[in-house]
Amino acid sequence: MEQFFAQTAWLIPSYPLMGMVLSMLWLPSITPLTGPRPAGYLNLGMTGLACLHGAIAFHATWQQAPQYIAIPWLQIAELDLTIPIEVSSITLGAILVVTSINLLAQIYAVGYLEMDWGWARFYALLALFEAGMCALALCDSLFFSYVILEILTLGTYLLIGFWLNQSLVVTGARDAFLTKRVGDLVLLMGVLALYPLAGTWDFQELAIWAETANVNPTTATLVGLALIAGPMGKCAQFPLHLWLDEAMEGPVPSTILRNSVVVATGAWVLIKLEPVLALSPTVLSVAIAIGSITAVGGTLISIAQVDVKRALSYLTSAYMGIVFIAVGAQLSNAAFLMILTHAVAISLLVMSSGSIVLNSITQDLTQMGGLWRRRPVSGLSYLVGVAGLIALPPLGGFWSMLALLDGVWRDRPIIAVILLLVNALAAFAVTRVFVLMFGGQPKPMTERSPENGWLVTLPMTILAGFVLHLPLVLQTLSLLPDWAVLNKDVALVLTWSSLSGCSLAALVYYGPIAKPIRLPWQALQNLLAYDFYTSRIYGVSVVGSVDRISRLVDWGDRYLVDGLVNMVGLASLFGGEALKYGNSGKTQSYVLTIALGIILITLLMTWSSLTNLSLVIGG
Amino acid sequence: MISLQYFLLLAAALFCIGIYGLVTSRNAIRVLMSIELLLNAVNLNLIAFANYLDPASIKGQVFGVFVITIAAAEAAVGLAIVLSIYRNRNTVDMEQFNLLKW
Repeated sequence: MEQFFAQTAWLIPSYPLMGMVLSMLWLPSITPLTGPRPAGYLNLGMTGLACLHGAIAFHATWQQAPQYIAIPWLQIAELDLTIPIEVSSITLGAILVVTSINLLAQIYAVGYLEMDWGWARFYALLALFEAGMCALALCDSLFFSYVILEILTLGTYLLIGFWLNQSLVVTGARDAFLTKRVGDLVLLMGVLALYPLAGTWDFQELAIWAETANVNPTTATLVGLALIAGPMGKCAQFPLHLWLDEAMEGPVPSTILRNSVVVATGAWVLIKLEPVLALSPTVLSVAIAIGSITAVGGTLISIAQVDVKRALSYLTSAYMGIVFIAVGAQLSNAAFLMILTHAVAISLLVMSSGSIVLNSITQDLTQMGGLWRRRPVSGLSYLVGVAGLIALPPLGGFWSMLALLDGVWRDRPIIAVILLLVNALAAFAVTRVFVLMFGGQPKPMTERSPENGWLVTLPMTILAGFVLHLPLVLQTLSLLPDWAVLNKDVALVLTWSSLSGCSLAALVYYGPIAKPIRLPWQALQNLLAYDFYTSRIYGVSVVGSVDRISRLVDWGDRYLVDGLVNMVGLASLFGGEALKYGNSGKTQSYVLTIALGIILITLLMTWSSLTNLSLVIGG
Repeated sequence: MISLQYFLLLAAALFCIGIYGLVTSRNAIRVLMSIELLLNAVNLNLIAFANYLDPASIKGQVFGVFVITIAAAEAAVGLAIVLSIYRNRNTVDMEQFNLLKW
């Protein structure tokens, strides 16, 4: 019976898809009278079904060999596009994480979007995301992963643009779509260039091919860089990271999903491509470089933010950067573990801060404070999220960082230092947000702040339970290293870095330093607060040049191309206007024309004999 | 004996003068007179050819008679047309008859 569920695992994405289609029945234009709530409930049911199916199938496949299912899609000429599906404990585990976080986020949304009329659209889009991510987890082909990534990009555009009457939402959605599209398009180049080399797009066969492949190093580097570019945009890595900041204009429940799992879709593809990327050491170094820059930059920027959602979104970029480092260091297991621990922890953080924002109205950290006594549940959940995110033993983030650090400790000490630094900075950032929100004295905006209803609080506390139990679960699944083989030095240094970050932040923000804190170098503070002025850099470089070239091409089309064609018409018009004066209206001029014509024709016809005329006359 | 070419050249010169008069005259009567010049040039040709090339059966001279006849008829019709235009327009100035001007 369980085997049946495992073999029909490919059905899982279709539950939310069904929910997506059905929830549109409650669009205000279709069901104007009874309100949109059933759309949400229906989607909860569908997500629950998917989660249940995933759980049973996960149980069935545990410690079994992966099963592969092939669904034919298109056979044309020499190209055989069959959708390969991998049913294994790792893909079903991912589905389980995706569906359960979705379930919690959707319950949260029932409470959060209480006063919103747009449930049908919102839940339909959440369902689209869920279906896309489940399909991506199951899909074992680079080509179809790309297809799903593109659909998710479209979904991101629509979901960020949920409240589309706000101007910042519209620009944010635009940037998110275009930035992710650029990455996806470069990824498409990589995908297309990979086929002639490897002859397959199945991840499994790609891995086998990559073991013995003998590729020109330049080709391997270029293809690898293109394959990195897609996840780079998806995971909001430098320099394609601005969209995640602007995506914070969307509703909080979708932010939960985006920050935890949607950005992880890029990382998922990246990890699966690791064997191909490993063909070129340059590509691995580039991945590490991008990841390191994003991780350090993201945490630094996060520390300088005043908007709570944005402070957390840069941390997402930073942690995805750590996943990039893990892939660059060829530590796929650490990367998978990092995705898992980061997903649950950051979604808990976003849920908790969203619960504060919901009834404190402001997102401005400088206007919050003193919520700890009034909001203990949210505060505790936030703390659990902090402990799960940064490397605090015995919670989740510690083990993934440990696995990663353990791998790079010997060979690449610089990366180890960067990781420790990022960990300390991230600890500083989350602790700063905690102290600003929950610590200190209440501000006018947070003077009266009740805890939310159960629909918001329950999923938050359940997720806090998840985060707390994650190490136990991982241990039961024997995914964690034994205490005996643990690298105690590394563990100690890691813990010390997190603790120093946390205590430093607590010291600074609880301490006697005047608030708001000003760095001695105001320029540096502004640089970080404005995200290295990335939007201006975009405006000057890419957007500016594309804009100029577009205007130039438009001008050329309007005046040169159109003008050339119009010139033909104008010339014939002008010719007609000018030549009509030949019709003078005088009979005599017509006679003259006739006479001249006859003379001309006669001259032409007799030209040869005319040359002899003088001789005839003379003779 | 004067050779044929001189007659032909004289006829052609007369024809040219006739054409010139036909094109440049402003008076309609002078246009008709120019046409008469043209016809006379043709007659000169016909008679010259008949004299030099066909002295036996002189077909050209017969043609000449016909041309003179037709020229008289044409002059009668032409003068009638000019007269009728004059009655309508009150002028015989060729520059005034330009209803077809662009």
